Amino acid sequence: MTITLLDPTGERRPAERPRARRPASLDGHVIGLLDISKPRGDVFLTRLAALLGARGAGVRRYAKPTFAKPAPADLRRQIAEECDLVIEALAD
Amino acid sequence: MSLPRLPDGLVAVVKRDCPTCQLVAPVLGEIAARGGPLTVYSQDDAGFPPSVTASSRARDEDLALSWHHHIETVPTLLRVEGGVEAGRAVGWVRREWEELTALSPLGSGLPAHRPGCGSMSADPSLADRLRVRFEGGRLASRRIDVAELEDEIETAFERGWSDGLPVVPPTPARVLRMLDGTSRAPDEIVAAVPPDLVPATVEKIAVNAVMAGCKSEYLPVVLAAVEAACTDSFNMHGLLCTTYFSGPVVIVNGPIAARIGMNSGINCFGQGNRANATIGRALQLVVRNIGGGLPGGIDRATFGAPGKVSFCFAEDEDASPWEPLSVERGFARGASTVSLVAGHGPSAIIDQISRGPESLARSFAAVLRAAHHPKLVMAMGALLVVSPEHARVFAGAGWSKARLRGELEALLLLDGDELARGAGGIDEGIPAQVAAGRKLPKFIPGDLAIVHAGGRAGMFSAVIEGWVSGARGSQLTTVEVRA
Amino acid sequence: MHDIADFESRDVPGVFVASSEFSEAAAAQARALGVDPARVLVPHPIQDRTDDEMRALADAALAPLLAALLAAV
Repeated sequence: MTITLLDPTGERRPAERPRARRPASLDGHVIGLLDISKPRGDVFLTRLAALLGARGAGVRRYAKPTFAKPAPADLRRQIAEECDLVIEALAD
Repeated sequence: MSLPRLPDGLVAVVKRDCPTCQLVAPVLGEIAARGGPLTVYSQDDAGFPPSVTASSRARDEDLALSWHHHIETVPTLLRVEGGVEAGRAVGWVRREWEELTALSPLGSGLPAHRPGCGSMSADPSLADRLRVRFEGGRLASRRIDVAELEDEIETAFERGWSDGLPVVPPTPARVLRMLDGTSRAPDEIVAAVPPDLVPATVEKIAVNAVMAGCKSEYLPVVLAAVEAACTDSFNMHGLLCTTYFSGPVVIVNGPIAARIGMNSGINCFGQGNRANATIGRALQLVVRNIGGGLPGGIDRATFGAPGKVSFCFAEDEDASPWEPLSVERGFARGASTVSLVAGHGPSAIIDQISRGPESLARSFAAVLRAAHHPKLVMAMGALLVVSPEHARVFAGAGWSKARLRGELEALLLLDGDELARGAGGIDEGIPAQVAAGRKLPKFIPGDLAIVHAGGRAGMFSAVIEGWVSGARGSQLTTVEVRA
Repeated sequence: MHDIADFESRDVPGVFVASSEFSEAAAAQARALGVDPARVLVPHPIQDRTDDEMRALADAALAPLLAALLAAV
């Protein structure tokens, strides 16, 4: 059952938090590819790694231990430190 | 949602799952046959009571009719004229039913009276849900749904609503209950909250009061605190923007303090008292969530202070030899007030030896002199909190609060040559051209407030150091508490 | 989606890829979290695709992914 909360703020900002600022291009940036460890995702990400590498981005690969939970805190911290952008795949 | 209308004539509200309703079922049949028109609303079974024809029965399926007409007991018999209730009988009382129906005798063979059962619309386990269903429309705040697998306590943290501690999730049911604590309308605007100057309604403040952990009876005090904080004289905006330590300190006077169980005694600045802790917290949550005043954002305090989570206490008026702060501020003795002062602390004044008022006053002055910095004067305020043991020393010698204040003013008239920049090898201080050869008061008149609080044992008093006073800073501001 | 929301809150732009079946659940989670993470949907099903088909999905997803990660022109 969902719980409903009332917004305690002045509602000046949208209920959603805004997204992080995006860079203008891939140049000089490192993209983290995070595999959620569901079947077939690795093939998808390997292909993406090749495509992105060809466009001049650095690429790093990571994998969650299980798709059933958010990534462990240490892994998230590592990715945030080592990468400028993240692609997480592939949930079905 | 419009009030469900009652049909004219006689109206009975019953439920099958009630022995008294079963008992009076034949009486309802009698009334329908002899008196009429009679409409019977069943809260549970649409076929009950069988003693009355189907056309006279209705089902109050969603309990809207029972709720809006305040049916607390079943059976309840109402007489309705022109859509308006003209009388009611609660439970089975023959005499009352005969009067209402103008039929006599009724229910011969039944006992003269039998109490009813609880109405389903008054069932405690349904109360919250019904309340939200029927009164939820009073609430204007944006709804935020927390999905099944989410944790509503984490949600509040993630959305930045918290002061670092968990908050009570502000569900519509809790907020409606909080609003019971005031007779003011939920959409009444209380103040424009700095820094964003967003209008804070009673409802929005109630949402934050729920989050702080307040009881509904604290709400009037929270509302007064928000009003006081948002005045020009208190200058919450300035207080937020400063790199200084201070935050709002809430002092409550008058009968409301005892009524809501506030602490004016042992550990009154510390933990453990719900009213003290949550009222101060609610004010800070309002500033944060409604006003947008966030640390690291507009709040750039170098250190801040633990009191910026909450700093709220009541003055001990009963044991005080002096008039309370509220009376000094011009309010009637029986009035309940909230006074706000910018401050942080407390710092200690230890004096376990002085038996006479002159010596004790000098102890106070020695510590007050060093408030903020021994060489800084005439710029900032302070709040002196005199403990019962210390107050007894003054009272025993017949010193009024005014006498003490006068004595402190004399003792705190300081030698400008000691205050000047460079004096004592300290660069900080008062510019030489202002200080040289002059006597300067530590506090501008009006900037030193004095209250009485604390446990009955302990020969200490306390200084709550303030912030910049006057037009550029903040001034002690008092607001009366309205129900 | 929690992971991407977490990266976004650390100022690391992110996007997640999910099959089209996931679309409604994603929207619900987004509302609950109070974020709207960038997402790229690929046609369902996934599990029984061949390697070549997966690579084709990746090729097709590249442009939307870049659009989600880079500033709009």
